[in-house]
Amino acid sequence: MILKLNHLQGKAAATTAPDVIETIYSLMEEGHIEKDQFARLQIELDWIQYKQNFREVVIATQGYNSQGHRAPMMDMHVDTRQVSPDCLRADLLRALAHAKPGPQPQDRLPLEDFQSMRSSIVWEFNKLYWNRLKDWETMSGRGYEQALPGGQSDGHQPQAIADSVGDFWTLLRDMESKNQLPQEVFLVEIGVGTGTRMGLWLDKFRQLDQQRDTKYYPKLKVLLGDYSLATLDMSRPAVRDHADLCSFLVLDAINPLKSLSFLRYKVMLVHSTNVYDNLPDEEVVRRDGRLYFVQVRAYLPVAEVARIASAFEIPGDRMRSQIDRLLEGHFEDFGSRERGVNFWQEIWKAVRLEERLVQLEDLPEFPFPEGLDAGKLEDMLQQAPADFRFHLSSGALESLVRTLPLLHPRGYLQVQDIFVTDINQYRLGFFGPGKLEGSLLNWVNGALLKEVAERAGYDVHFAPFHYRKGSRTSILYTTRRE
Amino acid sequence: MSLPILPTGIVGSYAMPGWLERLKTDYFARRISRHDLDEIYDTSVKAAIKDQEIAGIDIVTDGESRRDNNVDYFLERFPGVQLDRSSKKFYYDFYDSVVQGKLPMASLGLVSDFSFLRTFTERATKFCITGPHCLAKRIRNKFYTSEEALAMDLARVMNLELKALAKAGAKFLQIDEPYYSGFPEDVNWAVKSLNTLVDGVDSKIAVHICYGNRYGKPSWEGSYRYLFPAILDAKVQQLTLEFARRGGEDLDLFKEFNPPFELGVGVIDVKTHELETADMVAEHIRRALEVMPAERLYILTDCGCVHLPRDVAFAKMKAMVDGTKIVRKELGK
Repeated sequence: MILKLNHLQGKAAATTAPDVIETIYSLMEEGHIEKDQFARLQIELDWIQYKQNFREVVIATQGYNSQGHRAPMMDMHVDTRQVSPDCLRADLLRALAHAKPGPQPQDRLPLEDFQSMRSSIVWEFNKLYWNRLKDWETMSGRGYEQALPGGQSDGHQPQAIADSVGDFWTLLRDMESKNQLPQEVFLVEIGVGTGTRMGLWLDKFRQLDQQRDTKYYPKLKVLLGDYSLATLDMSRPAVRDHADLCSFLVLDAINPLKSLSFLRYKVMLVHSTNVYDNLPDEEVVRRDGRLYFVQVRAYLPVAEVARIASAFEIPGDRMRSQIDRLLEGHFEDFGSRERGVNFWQEIWKAVRLEERLVQLEDLPEFPFPEGLDAGKLEDMLQQAPADFRFHLSSGALESLVRTLPLLHPRGYLQVQDIFVTDINQYRLGFFGPGKLEGSLLNWVNGALLKEVAERAGYDVHFAPFHYRKGSRTSILYTTRRE
Repeated sequence: MSLPILPTGIVGSYAMPGWLERLKTDYFARRISRHDLDEIYDTSVKAAIKDQEIAGIDIVTDGESRRDNNVDYFLERFPGVQLDRSSKKFYYDFYDSVVQGKLPMASLGLVSDFSFLRTFTERATKFCITGPHCLAKRIRNKFYTSEEALAMDLARVMNLELKALAKAGAKFLQIDEPYYSGFPEDVNWAVKSLNTLVDGVDSKIAVHICYGNRYGKPSWEGSYRYLFPAILDAKVQQLTLEFARRGGEDLDLFKEFNPPFELGVGVIDVKTHELETADMVAEHIRRALEVMPAERLYILTDCGCVHLPRDVAFAKMKAMVDGTKIVRKELGK
């Protein structure tokens, strides 16, 4: 058995270690863990998750080979911030019982079959959140930006916006000096949020343009894209002073090229804030030289089902179908819109993910997200730790490779988000998924994005967001690779 | 070897298969030998020739599979150009290169690659050489007084090679100058270096000028207007330019300046995987015929096909050939 100790809780976590070791030995002696399984067991202590997350205090992740037969390998993760010595044995036993093949304990209501994370039902909840944002915000009494770690979006930071405007103006100036300035200068914002950032950016750009009398501002054509019509509508007031320049369009952040193919090689600046961390993702584990894909299954603990069913007067056996109605947006089914939203929030709070690892024997045949293939992943893994778990960041990756072709030869992409910029960082902690209000949150595998972008002709750089102390976001920006 | 009216061809490179990219990387990682790599290249070149022949291309190239990129293939051969062999991450990256002294006259050894092409096809051939302006832009110059001086000396050395190619039977040479469009202010001296390069070379010479194709995307945007009138002094027989992706607006420059050259007109966009139809190709050709008689028109891809998958590149060549046939028929030829 390998016991992995992280450093996040430090000494506080260390006190859990002897208890875990002792309990695991007992469980092996009692036959709850087989010896060959014990030999390959890896337990990660200090598996600190987001405060709002999808997992139990202890989880066990069983490995399977590609034919679906159980493999001896198993990972266990213990959240030392939440575990208590009194419950440790029970938590470990419960996790082991669920990891075993065969009949499962009846304490979970599965919402789906095991599958790739990116196709899990949790993304339907995420979609509902963005489409019915106003309902959620009304019920919770706060806007989603107030739920962010800093209480507001880093995207609105005035100095950051001023610097961004300054850089862009300088680029246009340089192009003009070379007689290369296009008649129309296209900007695209992917994921508009409240529209505040773009409003502030345009205010600042207009001011600078007027100060320097360069007449670039009227050349701007600004496209604000979001997959939620509700969000687009909410963003309009923030840019009303620049209405003549702005167009709004429904756009899938995973495939901007689909809506914007008419702008191929024409866009000078594509920007987004906190979008990549909210795109469908999946995780991969490398263990003993083999790759395993993490499959997940969303479920509700039966105790939670009973509590919610009672509160909303729904028969327990109808809970699953009521969730489908909820995801279709039929809030009125629950008596009133408010009650429907309340049901939604309770369900979301209760949703968990269990997982299993499925060995990937034939890497080239795996349906990689666009931009990635077995060769590229193998190249990247050459520099990576031998045993580790990392995000594939499928949605972010596809968004990136389907955005780069929009860029004008002098254009660039700026993405403000939470990035794992070095693959070795994955050894140091937990990077999602977590819950943020009604949406999902994952750190983005910036190291992988960098590899893929290089092969598409762009160098990717990460600048820590130094405008707010304690911010964990970075700014990804591209430069053309020669 | 007689050519039909509106001869078809590609601008240098053919599709670079994914497996060849992996094998090139394997070579750099010392997992396969130079001997094995050369055999792989030979096989790949033969396949590229065959594909062009089957698609019905009239003037065939070697597909340039041997080249990591359009620069290093040449700089590696130049005595006097020092390369940092550790500076590549991917095979297609450019080496860091520097010139610290006068370039000696020397053979670059291109003739064997041309002869290989010649051996494996009976069709007309074209061999492509990156021009001195482009090469000068990629070399760190620590000796010459200016980029122009470096380009002129590169041209002087390469002139010897072009003469050797002509002597070996290369009837048609194409000089690739993809950086003109990025540095329009250089055009006057760039044309001078071009003329030094081709001076006394007994072959037909085309110069290919595009807006870049690195990683399958344009490096610059703009209009070919910057070429005029400087390009009129070029001692070449053909200009090959990209029009399929950019539209035919700049074709009117040929009406305005009436240059003495043939025109190699790009009718296939190599920066998209979307396939052109034969009718689309025919329409491009008809547009070009408005400014240039058919006898002086060559039908080409916009640039090299290196970034296209092989099946897409093949289908695009086929569309180009079929579209050309439509127009030939309309012309009664």
